[in-house]
Amino acid sequence: MKVAELLEKRRENWLQLEQFCEQMKGRRLASLGAANISRFAALYRAACADLALADSYQLPPNTVQYLHRLVGRAHNQLYRSRKFDLTSWLIVLLFEVPQRVFNDRCVQLMFCIFWGTFVLSAALAYSKQLWPDYAEQMLTSAQIESLEENFKNPIAGRPSEANFVMAGFYIQHNTSIGLRCFAGGLLVVPGLFITLFNAAFLGAAFGYMARPDVAAGTNFLHFVTAHGPFELTAIVLSAGAGLRLGVSWLKTNGLTREASLSKTAEEAMPIMGAAMVMFFLAAMIEGFLSPSAAPYWVKATVAVLSSGMLMFYFIVLGIPRRPSNAVG
Amino acid sequence: MQADVAQIDTKIEVVTPENIAFHYQVAGPARRAMAFLIDLVIRLGILFGVGCLTAVFGIVAGGVAILGYLIAYFLLDWFYGALFETFMNGQTPGKRVLGIRVLTVDGQPINGLQAVIRNVLRSVDLMPVLSLEMFGIPAPMYIIPTFMVGLVIMATNRRFQRLGDLVCRTMVVMEERQWLAGVARLDDPRAMRLADYLPADFQITRTLAQALAHYVERRGYYSEARRREVARHLGEPLLRQFGLPHDTSHDLLLCALYYRAFVADVGDEARRKVRQGESPFGPPDATAAAAAAGQFPRTWPLPQQQMVTLPPAAGPDAARIL
Repeated sequence: MKVAELLEKRRENWLQLEQFCEQMKGRRLASLGAANISRFAALYRAACADLALADSYQLPPNTVQYLHRLVGRAHNQLYRSRKFDLTSWLIVLLFEVPQRVFNDRCVQLMFCIFWGTFVLSAALAYSKQLWPDYAEQMLTSAQIESLEENFKNPIAGRPSEANFVMAGFYIQHNTSIGLRCFAGGLLVVPGLFITLFNAAFLGAAFGYMARPDVAAGTNFLHFVTAHGPFELTAIVLSAGAGLRLGVSWLKTNGLTREASLSKTAEEAMPIMGAAMVMFFLAAMIEGFLSPSAAPYWVKATVAVLSSGMLMFYFIVLGIPRRPSNAVG
Repeated sequence: MQADVAQIDTKIEVVTPENIAFHYQVAGPARRAMAFLIDLVIRLGILFGVGCLTAVFGIVAGGVAILGYLIAYFLLDWFYGALFETFMNGQTPGKRVLGIRVLTVDGQPINGLQAVIRNVLRSVDLMPVLSLEMFGIPAPMYIIPTFMVGLVIMATNRRFQRLGDLVCRTMVVMEERQWLAGVARLDDPRAMRLADYLPADFQITRTLAQALAHYVERRGYYSEARRREVARHLGEPLLRQFGLPHDTSHDLLLCALYYRAFVADVGDEARRKVRQGESPFGPPDATAAAAAAGQFPRTWPLPQQQMVTLPPAAGPDAARIL
């Protein structure tokens, strides 16, 4: 059979396959109808076969190129991205993440780095002898002034409108910092820098506000108690997951760097997901409860309860199980 | 030859579950940057729309409206690409306009997790960032991403993967529509006549057929002198082999061979007879006899009528082959 004849015979099939590709673009597969879908699949397989035999048919190169493109387009319409599956994400968040975090050296290391820097910075800012200017240098005097200004008055609630706005701001702002910590961890240095900077800054703010001669101090502590556990855990968690990413291409455990990186990313992203949930909870508490006029014991109870929940999450759900009990 | 082409080209071979290997062309940084800019504009547009809604809804409940706006801002900032790539099968609106798509390196569609990872990690690829303050403009809110990390990483691998792509094993490929051009048309009826003078038992090998197709599909772009220059290399030895007059145009000879190889093989019949022991030179039918006598019937079908052509709405690519 001559090529021209063959092309004439196939042309109709190919053009029809092309039409289907056009039709399916940006639509759900089901909208095409069962008969058309099976027709589409048959046409696709036929085009695949034509491409496979192109060499022995001696098709001209431009037709072969056309077939490559056509098969590529049809392939992408047939094999489609899978959607988010909420239940499986929930299982990952509730069972896999805590177990992974429990054993994750990077998260533990980041925990130590973050809290070590935090406590050191707080001590330096608190003490007037060790490094008298530390608080001013770390926080800048403008920041100190605005901190003192903000917490000048006892916390007595504010209009609910402002609560909503601030909750939105905390979600946007804090979660973005967490995500940046995570992404920056891939290159190790930026991630460490963001984390250390945040730890030092927060530590200095706590240390300075805890000084007995700072009038706004009690109000400040009153404000931060309730949302502290969630927020600080979330930042440690995102930085730890980021560090895990960065370490994965430095220490590959026998895999290629690329394989190690992609395997780790699939494990680390859910940890970041858990951190995002915590950021969200912290933002809600920070937006609505922390600035409210509720007495201190309520806020302290919330802090204790949320710490308890985190303990439960990371220790009870996270304790390593025998493989027979392991989920997934 | 294919392997060599793949080395210098941006082609990636993908093997499908149907056990077919086909080629993708990988999308380069310029095209992806365009798609990113379009997405950026769309993102700002959506944000503006949400802002208007917020303003309207804010009359009733200002706080909740602004909460919604800030959450929308956060989601657009970090998950715009991830959501679209998951629900639009690896494309964002910008990518669709530019005809590119995200796939895994095995050519499979990406899943939600991969879409999220590669979009969250864009914040590394766009490093280092400049701020307008560096240029003396007091606007700390606005930063300029330079995408240097992403560009350098893209330059180091064959698939133009940025860091986010490397991490979740994805790549961005072009998905362009190409028009079916069919067999090239020969504008010279003499080529077809010359085909009759070629020895009937001459077998056109696969590589020769490919070379012929490459030449004839492209000769439309060449000037007369260039055609002569290119066709000489193959034409000269073939003329000698066929024992045709030396002044036969090489270009015409290649066209005739092309016609023989891809369109209509008058030699088929003759070769069959050679194998059966009949003389190929006997007059099998009137047309061949007339051809041998150098008289060509007026009713000979023009090549254009025999070959695959495109429907009228075929577009510019088809026209170029003519």
